Amino acid sequence: MRRFRFGRGARSAPDGATILEALTDARLPSVVRSVRYHRPRAPFCGTGECAGCLVRVNGRPNVRACQTLVRDGDRIDAGNAVPSPRFDLLGVLDLAFPHGIDTLRGFRRPRFAVRAYQRVVRRLAGYGRLPPVTASPPPPPEPRDLEGRLAIVGAGPSGLAAARRAIALGVRPIVIDRGAIGDDLVGADRLGRTAATVLLPPRPGRDEAATLLGFDANGAGVRVRAGAVLLATGSYDAPLLFEGNDRPGVVTAELALRLLRRPLRPPFRRAVIVGGGARALELVTSLGDRTSAVVSAGEIPPELVRAASERAVPLYPRSIVARAHGRSSVRAITIARRGSGEDLELSCDAVVLAHRRLPHHPLLFQAGAEMRWEPRARAYYPTLGPGGATTVPRLFAAGSVAFVAPEAARASGEAAAELALGGDPAVPTAWPTPPVDEAWGADYVTELLGLPRRGKWVACPCEDVLLEEVEAAVARGYRGLEVVKRYTGLGTGLCQGRYCVPEALAVLAALEGRPPEAVGYLTQRPPVVPTPLGALAPFAGAFGQEVVE
Amino acid sequence: MTFARDRYGVAIVGAGIVGLFTAYHLRRAGAGPVVVVDRGFLSAGGSGRNGGGVRQQWETRATIRLAKESVAAYRRFGTEFGYNIWFRQGGYLFLADTAAALARLRTVHDVVRSEGLGSRLLGPEEVGRHVAGIAPGAVVGGAYLATDGTLYPFPAVWGLYETVRALGAEVVLGADATGVIVRDGRVAGLATSAGTITTPTIVNAAGGWSGEFSRRAGLDVPNVASRHEILATEPLKPFLDPMVVRPSDGLYFSQTMRGEIVGGVTVPHAPGTARGVPSSPRFLTAMARALVDLLPRLRDVGILRAWTGFYDDTPDGFPVLGEDPRLPGFVHANGFGGHGFMLAPAASRRAAATILGERPDLDPAEFGPARFAAGPGARAVEGLQLG
Ligand SMILES: Cc1cc2nc3c(=O)[nH]c(=O)nc-3n(C[C@H](O)[C@H](O)[C@H](O)COP(=O)(O)OP(=O)(O)OC[C@H]3O[C@@H](n4cnc5c(N)ncnc54)[C@H](O)[C@@H]3O)c2cc1C
Ligand code: FES
Repeated sequence: MRRFRFGRGARSAPDGATILEALTDARLPSVVRSVRYHRPRAPFCGTGECAGCLVRVNGRPNVRACQTLVRDGDRIDAGNAVPSPRFDLLGVLDLAFPHGIDTLRGFRRPRFAVRAYQRVVRRLAGYGRLPPVTASPPPPPEPRDLEGRLAIVGAGPSGLAAARRAIALGVRPIVIDRGAIGDDLVGADRLGRTAATVLLPPRPGRDEAATLLGFDANGAGVRVRAGAVLLATGSYDAPLLFEGNDRPGVVTAELALRLLRRPLRPPFRRAVIVGGGARALELVTSLGDRTSAVVSAGEIPPELVRAASERAVPLYPRSIVARAHGRSSVRAITIARRGSGEDLELSCDAVVLAHRRLPHHPLLFQAGAEMRWEPRARAYYPTLGPGGATTVPRLFAAGSVAFVAPEAARASGEAAAELALGGDPAVPTAWPTPPVDEAWGADYVTELLGLPRRGKWVACPCEDVLLEEVEAAVARGYRGLEVVKRYTGLGTGLCQGRYCVPEALAVLAALEGRPPEAVGYLTQRPPVVPTPLGALAPFAGAFGQEVVE
Repeated sequence: MTFARDRYGVAIVGAGIVGLFTAYHLRRAGAGPVVVVDRGFLSAGGSGRNGGGVRQQWETRATIRLAKESVAAYRRFGTEFGYNIWFRQGGYLFLADTAAALARLRTVHDVVRSEGLGSRLLGPEEVGRHVAGIAPGAVVGGAYLATDGTLYPFPAVWGLYETVRALGAEVVLGADATGVIVRDGRVAGLATSAGTITTPTIVNAAGGWSGEFSRRAGLDVPNVASRHEILATEPLKPFLDPMVVRPSDGLYFSQTMRGEIVGGVTVPHAPGTARGVPSSPRFLTAMARALVDLLPRLRDVGILRAWTGFYDDTPDGFPVLGEDPRLPGFVHANGFGGHGFMLAPAASRRAAATILGERPDLDPAEFGPARFAAGPGARAVEGLQLG
């Protein structure tokens, strides 16, 4: 057992529990308020990317509760709320400004009041508080520095298969994953609970190693230099735009599954599952009688129909998720039946998004690999040679980030590892691709935008950017994702656009009347996830002078 | 986009802050028709990639005067242009880490005060009152001017874009200015990827690419594009009011209205625009080192994102403003280094004045394009550059 304090109260948690797990007790903890409207927020993604679980731990600001293990004696505080996220007085902002606060054009007059506006707005913004000034700050954690022939980022099925293949070939791979890596992986350097956030590939025509930088769960810096890098970074559950999509209880499939795995009381009993594919099936199977309904944009395939009817779960095919109700936690959703326009309210205590997977591709973009738009999946994937070679020397990709079907993930990982180590694996001309439910495509978004609106539609939860603001930007003549991002702030928040840009692409395509690939994309810049200054500082000076070319 | 007409009074290359302000001053004075062409999207250049710093503490009177006038313009911006640029006058705090650095700040301070600005020299304790938690011994003193500040660059671009269009100027995006048409030794037109237009006057406000564009016009200019990187951290509750700068290594950082720490540090890169705008581990680690060494309590703050832009450097650190004597009709409004945003309102007015035939109130020896022909003589140099 670990003993810790949360706010004023003493708490305990089982060994190995994350802070999020320790705080989840039949209810999702609400630990943070949103930046502009102080809307109640709760964990959404479970993978350390959204802004829904930021806490302060022993003075350290913006710690991701879902990624951080509880330690004895920890002092954990909620952030950005007065006095607490559940009863935040500033929550009145949300109610007082149903159409949002116009920080672009508002607060300009009268001129003598500008300073006062600035003071107030400044105080509302920002998440964490800095630690107090102390005479002797604790010494920084020791950085780690590894070198090897092959670094593998991602320890899912394809990454692990790649690691095993490398080991079989007599090479000790360095395997990095944001989550824990099982100690059954013998013969590899395992960097579990470590995020690789910066990738510098070898320059073309040069005999140099690729460098990865990142940090571990203690905030210590990590550097990995490797002759070749294999990205098996996988995919993640896509966001979905609807009214109230930022409400506590709207979660990704990933988070729902994580909260089931532990010996804790899951925070939901009546979950609506959104999606009609394999992921939704996985959820129905895992959640069992905690499922209250399945909603999908298109038809629902027979396996899912069977699994649902065995558990007496009602199915709502051909439906649009229109609205989530409830303020501090979701209590119902409204769906609109496609075609008929008929509305239906389903009561629930969670909305689980399992409708679509998106590639985890920022490192590929960062490395300068050529990316292509995959129209069926409506996402960017790397252009790959057979076996998984990207267009960047000694950079490879495998598994779902490479648009490979789950059943071929292992084989693609093995092939890429072999190729990366100079082998010549026998590979098919193309791996099978994952199934995509195209019912969530452009037509869905067009219908969605035509629905009546009652409350706020938050297009970018991290920055509290409203759909109305995106529409206003387009109406004023600002076109393309790059400009709309700069105009509204959409995509500039803590998740780096992961949970708003995919939907924004579809929305802009609809509003601008051109295909999503013409709307542009955000330049993916390092780091992939926020990386502590203290983790990167030890490597200053290690990158030499740039060669003048 | 295409041109609405084939003949213009003035064609401005570059829809950054300088090009748009120039168009604004021209239209206000009734000059026209005016067109602004840009090959990128709005805010694609330095005007969408900078740190938003606005300061009046400079080494030379000439720069201080432009900066002072610009501060006044930015204070009025919200009421004149319809957008809130959140110009927050939280001061600029210069840090000195050595006695020599402090001596230089003292010299700057004397010039700044002689221009009527209330800058103050600070001891280490006073510096600590402005910035809590500085590592012991990291600072021997500083200079501070409360009326300097920071702003949000984007809304300034939006406000100008909408205003110049409302004033009748055209802004054509996605058009690359490929060359200048010269007749009888003077400007006769502008060739672009969206077609050729007739115009007697071209303004080169192409920011980091101004050297490239001048050379396309056959003019040899000393402008050099240099890549500069910058980063933003996760948003924090307010803890820092001034922009903090350290000339010895070019470190600068401020906390924006949104709570992010935004800043950079000098990391030399190969000159030129050829390599685009990638972000480098070299910069990220150098900036991390500089921030953590100065303010150890920032150690656990996460870097959220980094980006890159180009400075448009001149040998003497002054912008180039005015008509090029070698090619009548070709007007420079470029060479702004790392401080074009803060000088844009005043500098663009001078560029526009040249075109309107007004008497310039700037010393051509300091700002005119002909000054480089004489070679590096005893001319003044504006050396207080950062980032
Ligand atoms: C990292 C960084 C930090 C900075 N920090 C500050 C700061 O704190 N304070 C400050 O005052 N300044 C700062 N600056 C400098 C400032 O951003 C620039 O000086 C200023 O934005 C220049 O504005 P501009 O309009 O001249 O150029 P830009 O904004 O670069 O606009 C030039 C435009 O010209 C277009 N263009 C170029 N060539 C062509 C062509 N041939 N045809 C058509 N279009 C063309 C480009 O697409 C671009 O949009 C910083 C710059 C950088 C890179
Ligand atoms: S939702 Fe995270 S940046 Fe938009």
